[in-house]
Amino acid sequence: MNRSASGRSPVLVAEDLSVSFAGKVALEGVSLAIPRGCLTALIGPEGGGKSTLLRSFNRLNELTPGAVTAGIVRLNGVDIHQGGVDAATVRRKVGMVFPEATLFPRSIFDNVAFGLRASGQVEELHNRIEEALTTVGLWSGIADTLDARALSLAPGDRQRLCFARTLALRPEVLLLDEPTTALDSAATARIESLVHGLKGDYTIVLATSGRRQAARLSELTAYLEGGELVEHGPTETIFTNPRDARTESYLTGRFR
Amino acid sequence: MRPQVLAASRVPGLGDRLAGPAFLVCALLSASVAIVLLAVIGVETARFFSQVSPLEFFARTRWAPLAETPNFGVLPLFAATAQVAVGALCIAAPLGLLMALYIAQYAGETVARGLNAIMGGLAGVPTVILGYLALNLVTPALRSLWAGVEAFNALSACIAVAAMLLPTVVVLSRDALARVPVPLMEAGLALGAPRGRVVLRVQLPAAGAGMAAAVLMALARAVGETMIVTLAAGNQAQLGWSPLEGLRTLTAYIAQASLGDTATGTLQYGSFFAVSAVLVAVSWGLRGLAGLVVARASGWRRP
Repeated sequence: MNRSASGRSPVLVAEDLSVSFAGKVALEGVSLAIPRGCLTALIGPEGGGKSTLLRSFNRLNELTPGAVTAGIVRLNGVDIHQGGVDAATVRRKVGMVFPEATLFPRSIFDNVAFGLRASGQVEELHNRIEEALTTVGLWSGIADTLDARALSLAPGDRQRLCFARTLALRPEVLLLDEPTTALDSAATARIESLVHGLKGDYTIVLATSGRRQAARLSELTAYLEGGELVEHGPTETIFTNPRDARTESYLTGRFR
Repeated sequence: MRPQVLAASRVPGLGDRLAGPAFLVCALLSASVAIVLLAVIGVETARFFSQVSPLEFFARTRWAPLAETPNFGVLPLFAATAQVAVGALCIAAPLGLLMALYIAQYAGETVARGLNAIMGGLAGVPTVILGYLALNLVTPALRSLWAGVEAFNALSACIAVAAMLLPTVVVLSRDALARVPVPLMEAGLALGAPRGRVVLRVQLPAAGAGMAAAVLMALARAVGETMIVTLAAGNQAQLGWSPLEGLRTLTAYIAQASLGDTATGTLQYGSFFAVSAVLVAVSWGLRGLAGLVVARASGWRRP
């Protein structure tokens, strides 16, 4: 249904995916396809499973002690949990940006170079870093101060540096986990325009508690509540004509 | 309703009125202990230096307060303290830091809990017992390895002091590692870096200041340690670097001087305070440095 709605082949597919942490269910029986080149928004109340679903796509949940995953996640058709698939390889193809800027206490250059160096892609290090910083709109401002501490940047620029760090690896998919919650409105607007510019070049999955942000940026929207995928479809349909009463009450602000 | 509450709060009860002065008295009592202590050390040290030149005290290499013509060169004592403290740290710091890393990153929950409990137990062992074990267990073992080991030797003191320092290093650096935000580690892994690289390049640098502070705190404890060195390394004031021979640290001298029947007002009595002043200064310096390292890393990083 989702495939026909988008008309594009999926990059990521979750099939009957369930995740629990130390016995507590966070995600239950979710099946969802993420079509290539689209921006899919995951919306819903806090604790609804947005983050857990997002972190399933780059195998980050398994870092949490007591996490149990059942079901299948496919990246380009390949089950990412099957033996022989390296988590690090998956994570290089499926990049992630976190809610708060998670810069390393090192220089700007070292932060952007981190993923490239870790995977041994050091031949064109400078070019790749320039490319990534240009994409996020930081290059002209900080080209001369790449050796400065990354933490000396303004909060909005720090988050853009996190984007650059992920983009430097040239991933296929970008997972954005509430990328603007820690930012003021001006910085949020700049991040949103950056995300808007990245659309098309990347397959993007955006988990957000900002309903308007989802409406502004996404083509497809999935509504999650209580660990369940309530419904998903084209953003316009979800926002104007939701099928499920739970979706409607969340979108109209009557949620609980 | 509301004005009444405000009115009531304007007339405090007897307890409220007494609380301030009562706590002030408590605070002054505690503070006065420290102030009197410093004043006594300061006055006696000044009196000592009016009779013995500071140049002799800090530059001469012979310490013989009871000789016919007494010598008060503090360097042998200072060097002995440095030798034991640094020697112990050379054992405790790498061992403790690696153990903290193991507990924080690699050990399972049960193993980690066990190691923490063992460190807690070790921290609770009185140093006199560690000194006794150094003298009666470590030294005989060392002597069976090297014939040249003396009955009182610095090496066995270093080993016992290292055992005393280990919990300090482990607990403080383990906490420093645990304070590194989980999202920071996740970000490293999400960039496709292997776990070892994230630990080495992200967690260790982020916890570096806390780990450095842990080592400095341990060094301060080692400098002040008395019982182990007195028991295991003896009390010979000699300037030598062999860890197989006995020596006398600043603390051991103070302990010995306090035990003896030194007459008040004599030069030897004064030297006790001068040595104390050196000890307090070194210990405070190290603690201050540790605090500075932490403050610099946590507070001054962001403009």
